[in-house]
Parts: sequence; structure tokens; C-alpha cells
Amino acid sequence: MADTLEKLLQNPRLWRGRDQAGNSNWQGLPSGYPKLDRHLPGGGWPQRALTEILLEHYGMGELQLLMPALARLSKPEDHEVSDEAGWIAWIAPPFQPYPPALLQWGINLSRILIVRPRQESETLWSAEQALSSGNCAAVLIWLDALDDYSSRRLQLAAEKGQSWAIAFRPLAALSQSSAAALRIQLISGEKGTDLGILKSRGGRPVVLRDYAG
Amino acid sequence: MTLSPEQRQPQRSRVHNSGSSHNLRVSMPSPKKSPAILREVSPTPPVTQPSLAPVAEQATLWAAPARRLWLCIYLPGLPHQAVRDTNAKEAMAVFEDKEGVRRILLADKEARAAGVVPGLAVNAALALLPTLRLQERSLQRERQALETLATWAEQFTSFVSIEAPDILLLEIAGSLKLFGGLSSLRQSIATGLDERSFGGLLSIAPTPLAATWLAKAGRRACIQEEADLAGALSELPMRCLGWPGSVNESLSGMGVTHVGDALRLPREGFARRFGAARLLELDRALGRLPDPRQSHRTPERFCSEYELSEEASASDLLLNVCQELLIELERFLLTRQLSVQRVLFSFFHLKEPATHLILGCVQAGRNIEHWFDLLKIKFDELELSAPVIVIRLRSGQSQALTARTSKFSFNDTGRQQSEPIAHLVERIGARIGDESIHGVRTVAEHRPQYAWMPADPAEVAVPSYWCEERQRRPLWLLPEPRQLHLEQGAPVYQGALKLLGRPERLETGWWDGDGIARDYYVAVNPAGIHIWIYQDRRSKGAWYLHGIFG
Repeated sequence: MADTLEKLLQNPRLWRGRDQAGNSNWQGLPSGYPKLDRHLPGGGWPQRALTEILLEHYGMGELQLLMPALARLSKPEDHEVSDEAGWIAWIAPPFQPYPPALLQWGINLSRILIVRPRQESETLWSAEQALSSGNCAAVLIWLDALDDYSSRRLQLAAEKGQSWAIAFRPLAALSQSSAAALRIQLISGEKGTDLGILKSRGGRPVVLRDYAG
Repeated sequence: MTLSPEQRQPQRSRVHNSGSSHNLRVSMPSPKKSPAILREVSPTPPVTQPSLAPVAEQATLWAAPARRLWLCIYLPGLPHQAVRDTNAKEAMAVFEDKEGVRRILLADKEARAAGVVPGLAVNAALALLPTLRLQERSLQRERQALETLATWAEQFTSFVSIEAPDILLLEIAGSLKLFGGLSSLRQSIATGLDERSFGGLLSIAPTPLAATWLAKAGRRACIQEEADLAGALSELPMRCLGWPGSVNESLSGMGVTHVGDALRLPREGFARRFGAARLLELDRALGRLPDPRQSHRTPERFCSEYELSEEASASDLLLNVCQELLIELERFLLTRQLSVQRVLFSFFHLKEPATHLILGCVQAGRNIEHWFDLLKIKFDELELSAPVIVIRLRSGQSQALTARTSKFSFNDTGRQQSEPIAHLVERIGARIGDESIHGVRTVAEHRPQYAWMPADPAEVAVPSYWCEERQRRPLWLLPEPRQLHLEQGAPVYQGALKLLGRPERLETGWWDGDGIARDYYVAVNPAGIHIWIYQDRRSKGAWYLHGIFG
């Protein structure tokens, strides 16, 4: 009996949910929001993978959601060792990321890279380059359209460069499938912003009311 | 007893100097034939005394002359090498035009087999071998080939001297250790010459002239000690010295056919008959006199051309050629420990003006893979007006390569650090435009729109100034403030706005004509979006949206 079970557990096609996420070397990056961390497998943002954030309007708190984690990435504990690591690339941001505010959030400004491609295809290309280069700890991408194929490419590039890809997409993308390891949506709630986990590799869908509170 | 110039020094100085190699050389004549020219100086002051006197003095002054070793590369086939076409298969000969008479200078193996020998008239050669391909000698191309070879030879030593027309001298005493000894160095030079199909004769001697003569005589000699020089040179025929025919004739008339014979002649008589310069030349060859040489200075900038055999526009082919040129550039930079920040490709067409392509790189480098990546990206966008016939690569200002030692770390984070960030910046910049990728830094300025600046991402991080008190700032800033609609006198943004907290008044910048007088508020709309708005105190209280807290 135990033998059969063991065999079954070794079958890669068997989805083992939370256990597998917990026992692998998947160590999440603490988001800085304890309420959220509790619901993310690995206790934080999935690293080396694609995270999708779906939102109705820009400014719903999508940046504040990421800031504590990005601040941590941009300031490696040992500066001398990670000379080139920890770059944060912003690809095709809809407005100007404002450095004084980034500084207030504790981001190391000398690790910020802002890329403004002229076309959507260049956005994807730049994102892939940044992700796979191995320099960027995180790559933030603003995209209107992202098909399954492209999301898979981003996911692969993130794995290759051991980087964290974050794609911001409109709510309309809800119905599309995606290769992202984590998909969340931000909805304005009665008390602050609600965060819905739509898909989480190794986790469960859940809705968090006022995630920051 | 007669005294050599050296021996005529004061006795004290001799004793003092007895350990120097110079006196050692005098006291240890070569075992075979002693250079009698040293001894048989007549007591009367010789004609050449003014020029000989410094010898003794210099010998005393040289406390410890550094040991030198010269490797001579003699390229007798250079005229042929410089003009040959590697693709052609027919027999070939190089001719020289001397006062209207065209004579064969050099012939290759097949031509020689047919009886075409140097000195033959061109017409006679053609009669012997009608398929013979004839090329006129080109001194310019010989010089070019020699310079290219000198540049190549600089990888073995820092001192390469071009001795026109067909000789290179390399000072190799300092390189022996690096290249693992004399024989291995000699072997790698010989292999390199073979790869470039230069049939060269190599010989090694402590003085440049001796090495040259030995090479010209076809001896693959390797003499390391000055004491052995006289013996080795004695066996050389006089013609390898390259002296004028008249001198050689009168010498052979005296029965002097070898260098050893000349060395036995009395110095005075020799100098009177053939000129002091010839005597000095012998002294230099034997190491009795210093023989300074001029080092070949290679150009600081790289410039190389590749001529296609026919016009081409296929990008694969052109890229291949470009890659060849880049590899050449890399070799150039590697031997000089240089790096470049900018290279220029020029594509020449037959009838159109040339197309230029400049590649720039933030961090000076010499890694051609990176240049090639940039080239491929740029090449896609390049529009060639016509097929290309010649491609030229020139490097910009080069600078000394600054090497960085990487730190050894035990707690490796596992993130692959294969390339510096500058490479990523250049790659993206090459495709979408350099102005579209930048870093940021803050500026000590109260006006929100001026409180930051784009920065060069590759520059070393400068400390950011942010000395303002910690007033909350939005993560998104609108490029231009957007005027808000008013409903019943209050601003709205996707619904009625609720102002949070007290206003922050910014009134500054009056000195440069771009002053502001604004009251900034943090406001929240019904959807829960926090925004940064201000009331302009100058334009009748109009409201503007300036940032989103995100």
C-alpha cells in the first residue's frame, strides 16, 4: 500500500498542491504584506517566474503592492558580492515612475532601468532581453495584449535569467489563459483595495479584502 | 705587445671592471678562429680612433648591460607573398621593372620547375611557360605586409623592429619566460608564420646584426652567448652582410670571402680601405658596440578592409565578413591591451556613396561577441543602397583596458552574472534607440517635475540627493499636469474627490521664469485611487492632477 502511494507521489503528473510548493526549494520573496504572504505558496512572491497583475485602472495600488519586495531586491544584503545584481527594469510604464517616491519606498535608484519601447512588439522583445540577461532581479512590464505564447516566452526567459517578471494587464485579460505562475487581480473594495488570487502555482485561489490593512 | 682599444684602458678600471661581460668576451676568444682584428692594432693611432675611442669608455660605463636576444625573421619570398592571389592556381612569378627592362624577381615552385629563374627577362619566361601569371612587384604592398606581420609579431614581444625591405627583428630576451623558453617561443613564431604562409627564415643571436646575417645566410642558428658570436659569424660568406658589390669584389680580391677572414684583417687598414662605417658594423654585429634599433609603432587605431571578390548584398555573407573583421580587431586589441568604445563599419558600393554604420558601446570593451550582437541588431535596420564591394572596419579612440578583478564569494546567490548591465542596455538601445533606455536619479529641487533626471544606467551610482522632509510623493508622475473638471466648485476624477490631510504649499522657482505657486493635496476618488492634485494659486484656483500614488 505504502509502496503504491510512494510510486504515485513520484509521478510528476500528480498535482500535489501546497505540499509540493512547500517542500521544494521555492522560497518566496516576502511581499511586505503579512496578510498576502500567508496565502502565497512559499510565503511570498514566486521568484524566477511570471506574475500577472490584472487591474481596472492604473493607480489602484499595484505599485505599492510591489514596493517592499522591490526595495528588498534593489538592495542586496552584500553589496560587494552582488555587484551587478538587483536591477529593476521598468518596461513601457504608462506614466513616469517618480524617483523621489521610489526613494521614499526604499528603492535603490542606481538600480533602476527605464525602457520606453515604441511598439508593443519591442516591449516584449525588451522584456525578454532584460529577463534572460541575468542582470535584472525584477522586470515590470506594462502590456495591453499578451497571448499565451508570449506569456510562455516571458516565463521561460524569467527562468533562464532567474528573474522575476511582473506583467500589468487590463482586467479584460481575465478570460485569457496564461502561463504565469501567479495571477492576481486588484479590485477596489469598500475598505481599500481587494486582492484576488486567480491562479497560483501550488496555491489556491482566494480573495483578500483590503490586503494592506 | 699590441693592445686592443679595450685593453688600452687604465689598468685600474680593468680590474674594477673585470667581472663585466665585456672583458670576459675579450679574454675568451672563440675557440675556432680568434678575431685577430682585436689584437693587431698598430701602436700609431688608427684613422678610426675618434670613432673607436667611445667603445672603451662605454664599456666601462655600462655597469650591467641587460642581456639581449634578437630573433630575426627574414622573408625572402616577401615580394611574391605580397602580391599573390591565394585563389589562383597557375604558376606565378613576380617581375621588376629596372630602367625599362623587365626581369623576373621571384618565381614560385611550378614556375621554377619550368625553368623560370630569377633574372630571366619576362619575355623569355613567357616563352618558357606561356601560362605563367606575371605580377609586378609592389613595394607598397610589401611594406604593408611587413607592417601587418610586425603587428602580428607584437604578441610575442613589445619590441619589434622593421628592417626594410624584408626583415623583422624581435627582441625576445624578455619574452622567454612567458612563452616557456627559447625553443617553444621559436616554435610558436615559426608555426604562426607557417599559418600565414610566410616562408620565413628564423635565427637568434645576441645582436641584431648577427641575427640578420645568420638569417640571410640561411642558417637556422640559435646563439645565446656573445662569446659564441665571433665563431658563428666567421663562417658566413661576406655577401650576407648586404654590402655593396664593389666592396665585396675588392674583399674577395684580397681573398676575404667569409666574415672570419674579414675579422682577421687589421682594424686600421680595414677602416682606411673600406670606411669606418663597415668596421663599426662588424663591431656592432659582435656586440662590441651598442646597436640601438627603432621599435615599430603600430597605429593606435585599427583600420582594416576586406575586398569582396564580387559585389554582394546577401546579409549573411556581409555579416560573415564583418565578423572576420571584428575578430581581427579583437586580436589587435588583445595584443595591445586596449579597448574601444566605438567602431565604424563602412560599406562601399561601386557607384553609390558609402554606407556607414557606427556602433557605440557604453563600456569600453574588446569582446567581439558583444560587438557582433550589436551589429546584427543594427544591420537589420540598415538599408544598403546598392550591393557592397568593400567593407572597412575602423576603430574609434582606443583606451587602455581596465581589468576588474571579480570577488570570490562563497554565498553565491545563484543568479547568473554572465554579462555586465551595460551590454543589456546597449542591446536594447541598439534596437529601440539609445534615448529610450535610461536610469534615474533625483535632483535637489522642490518643483516636483524637476526633482528627478534621467541618468546613464552604466554610470557608477551617485548618491541621490533627497533632503526634503518626508512629504508623501506619488509613484506615478504625469508628464504634464492634467486639468481636472470642477463640479460645484470641487475637482472630480472618476468621481468626487475627497481631500486627505493638509495641503503642502510649493512656491518656488521664481528666479528662472518657471516658477510655481501651488497647494498640493493627496486626494482619493470613489474607486479608492489615491492621487496627487494641486490648486494653482495663480490661475484663479484651477485644479490639476499631477501624480498617482499607484
